[in-house]
Amino acid sequence: MNFIINLFTPFVEFFTVVFKYAPKFDKAIIYTLELSIFSILLGTLIGLIVTTLKLTKFKVLQKIAYFYISIVRGTPLLLQLYFIFYGLPLIGLEFNSFTSAIIGLAFHSGAYISEIFRGAIVSIHYGQEEAARALGMSKVQSFFHIILPQAFKRSVPSLGNQFIIAVKDSSLASVITITEITLTARQFSAATYNPFPILFIAGVYYYVIITILSKSLKRLEGRLRVDER
Amino acid sequence: MKDKLIIKVEGLHKSFDNLEVLKGIDLDVHEGEVISIIGGSGSGKSTLLRCINFLEKKNKGNIFINGKKIKRSANEINKLREKVGMVFQRFNLFPHKTVLKNVMVGPVVIKKKNKEQVEKNALKLLENVGLEDKADVYPAMLSGGQQQRVAIARALAMEPDVLLFDEPTSALDPELVGEVLHVIDKLAKGGMTMLIVTHEMGFAKEVSDRVVFLHEGKIEESGTPTEIFDNPKSERLKSFISSIW
Repeated sequence: MNFIINLFTPFVEFFTVVFKYAPKFDKAIIYTLELSIFSILLGTLIGLIVTTLKLTKFKVLQKIAYFYISIVRGTPLLLQLYFIFYGLPLIGLEFNSFTSAIIGLAFHSGAYISEIFRGAIVSIHYGQEEAARALGMSKVQSFFHIILPQAFKRSVPSLGNQFIIAVKDSSLASVITITEITLTARQFSAATYNPFPILFIAGVYYYVIITILSKSLKRLEGRLRVDER
Repeated sequence: MKDKLIIKVEGLHKSFDNLEVLKGIDLDVHEGEVISIIGGSGSGKSTLLRCINFLEKKNKGNIFINGKKIKRSANEINKLREKVGMVFQRFNLFPHKTVLKNVMVGPVVIKKKNKEQVEKNALKLLENVGLEDKADVYPAMLSGGQQQRVAIARALAMEPDVLLFDEPTSALDPELVGEVLHVIDKLAKGGMTMLIVTHEMGFAKEVSDRVVFLHEGKIEESGTPTEIFDNPKSERLKSFISSIW
C-alpha cells in the first residue's frame, strides 16, 4: 500500500503545482500572443516592402534591402534585442521594453519573410508576366494581379514555418524585461524552487499556441489549393 | 478591303548578345489578312512575333501599328499591346483564376470596364471557342487544347486589331491540334487579322492569304500559299518543304 502511495506522490505534487500556477500565466500568454501577432503582421509588412525594394530597378534601394537582410541574418536576435533596448538609448533613441521587443522581432522576421517572398516571386514562370504584359498590363498591374497572388500562395508553407519561429522567438523578449511566458516561468521557478512543473506549464502553452497556428495555416493552405487539379 | 495597314515592320534587326537573329525584316500586314510565318528552328519566327509586341526589344528598325510609329515609352507599349493580342505556345493562362476570370482580367484591370458588361462579353467569347460550360473551372482542370482556346478568348477579350500566334499548337498532343486550328480558322473566316507562326503546313496552306518563309533572320520568300507550297522558287524553301512534307 505504502509502495503505491510513494509511487504516486511525486505526480500528485507535480500536478498540484501545475494546476496552481497554470492560471497565473494569463497575462504572460497575452504578452506572448501580442508579441507574436505584431511580429508576424509587421514582419510580413516589412517583408513585402523589402521584397519590393529588392525587385526594383533602383540599385541604391536594392543595396539598402540587402544590407538590412545581411545584418539581421548575420547577427543573433538576442544581440539585436539588447542593441535596441540598451544600445539605441545611448544615441537618444529610447523605446519602452515592449516597443523595443516588437521592433526587434518584426525587423528580424521581416528579413526572413522578404526572402521567402522573393523566392516565391522568382519561382513564378516568366510566361505569366509575359502573358499579362502582352494583354496590355503595366508592370505594376501584372505584379499585383498576376504575380503576387500566385507567389503568395506558393509562399504559405514557408511563411507558416516562419510564423511558428516568430512565436518561439518571442521568448527572447524575456531578456528585455517583458513578462511573457518564458520570463514568467523563470520568475515562478525562482519563487517556488520547483522549476520542473513551471517549465512544463510554459511548454504546454507554447505547444498549444503553435498547434493552433499551424492547424489554421494548414487550413489556409487547403483553401488556397482550389485551383489545382 | 485589304488596304488598311495594321502592322508595318521596317528593317527590323534583333540580336541576342552576339547572335544576330533578325537581319532586316520588312513586313506589311493589312486588315483582315492572315499571314503564316514558316521556317526552320532558329530562323527567327518567334523572335519576329515577340518584337512586334515588344516582348523583345528591337535593336534597329521601325514598327508601325495602325500607321503609328511605336516609341519605346512604357505607356505607349502598354497601349500598343492592347491592340495586338498574343497567343503563346505554352498558353500561359493564369492558374489562380477561373477560365471566366482569365478572359475577364484584361478588360477589367486594364480598361477598367464595367464587370457585368465584361462578363457577358467573356461568356460569349467562351461560347465562340466552345467552352462556355468550363467558365467556372480552373485552367489546371482543362486539356491543353481547351487551355489554348481559353487563351485565344482571353486575347480576343481586349478587342485587338490583330492577333499574333506563336506556335499555338506545338505544345499540344496531336489529337488536340484540330480543335485549336478549328478556332483559328473560324476567326480567319470572321475577318480577324492574324500573324501565325506555325509548323502545321497543311493548315498554313489552307488558312493563309500569304505565307512568309523565314531563313536565318531574313525573309527568304513570301507569297500566296500556292506559290510557296506548290511553286517554291528558292532552293532553301524547296528543301525546307521537302524536308517537312
